Amino acid sequence: MLDPGHGGTDTGARGESGAVEKDVVLEFARGVRGALQGEGYRVVMTRNDDSNPSYDDRAAIANANRDALFISFHISSTGTVGTARTYYYQFWSPIPAAGAPSTPNPAPGLTGWEEAQRLHAEMSHRFADALQVELAQRFSNSPGRSAGVALRGLRSIDAPAVAVEISSVSVSDPSSLSAMAAQLAAGITQCVAGFRPASATGTK
Amino acid sequence: MPRNLKIALGILAVGVLIGLISLRGLHQRMLHLAETQAAEEKARREVLAPPISTPTDVKSRAQIFWAVSPDRIASADVQLGLSADPVQRAKQILHSLIEDPPTAEQRTVPADATLLAFYILPDGTAIADFSDALASETPSGILSEQLTVSSITRTLASNMPSLRRLKILVHGQEVDTLAGHVDLTGFFDLNPNAPLVPLPAPGAPAAAPSAPQSKPSR
Repeated sequence: MLDPGHGGTDTGARGESGAVEKDVVLEFARGVRGALQGEGYRVVMTRNDDSNPSYDDRAAIANANRDALFISFHISSTGTVGTARTYYYQFWSPIPAAGAPSTPNPAPGLTGWEEAQRLHAEMSHRFADALQVELAQRFSNSPGRSAGVALRGLRSIDAPAVAVEISSVSVSDPSSLSAMAAQLAAGITQCVAGFRPASATGTK
Repeated sequence: MPRNLKIALGILAVGVLIGLISLRGLHQRMLHLAETQAAEEKARREVLAPPISTPTDVKSRAQIFWAVSPDRIASADVQLGLSADPVQRAKQILHSLIEDPPTAEQRTVPADATLLAFYILPDGTAIADFSDALASETPSGILSEQLTVSSITRTLASNMPSLRRLKILVHGQEVDTLAGHVDLTGFFDLNPNAPLVPLPAPGAPAAAPSAPQSKPSR
């Protein structure tokens, strides 16, 4: 599952040089889709035009597919230009207090939509770390490890899910962002090929 | 050299001289204007978000997390008058985070953001209610939003060891995200394993402030 962030009236970050996040991430996602399809993977995108599905709409598309890996693409408005960061959803710790639980527990066997990602927290962390290793090799000065952040766009995804953010729209030449697409696609393809979620069946 | 050319050159030289003098004056006026704006901004903020002082304030060391690069925050030791009342102490610490960054580049919370209210629940949950500017003026992006939230949570966690987790509200309301990415519908861990500390009863004298945790800086 590839998820180009933003879209439509939600442009995301905008740079003075004209870089617009919603357009660049769509370009990134299309590049990654081509690279993954070339390796035989089935790829679904949450948007492939200038639409802006809601977080829940994106999650619905993702959750309709079994054994998926979910990657959301973003461009930052700050940060060291040319670096890449991978994030996974970091949930808060439940408070071990007597009384009612802090969040409602779904019935056994059911996954709560609002926190579907909680079931995949460990796998998402592993996937994010593996991807960040690949990206750090390709984009100098990028951190060596992923970071846990409460990202709204990942919370309802019922699959291992990460977000990749490239820095940044403040580039002086927007084409330098486009030039990162090939390396991004190569890093993701390499990572996906080597990553084996617990539920993987061995098929692409 | 023809006379006309000499006259033209003379006029040009006078023009350049006048231009240079004017530019210098313009530059000085711009500097003066910037200083005036900064002074006015400071005065405005002192009215909107005046420093918080209480009768139990004691000068103490506090660790405030500001940006040290476009990608990273780290703690800085500052001396603050800190109240014995945990709610007031938290307000004083967050006030310093917003008001006292050493440079504009180190700012992690928008300058126009103010802390409207702060509550502590009996289970150690803190609730910080910020003005709209927190959401509307934080640059959109995972990294920038995370730096803002991290600077708030790590500053509180370091200086308020009894707080277990934080809920961030914007203008009294729960909002979906800070600026499009970071989820504000849940909680943020502060010191999740902290033992429960009974809150002082309303009107009861508060205990002396505890020293901040000594955590390694990042």
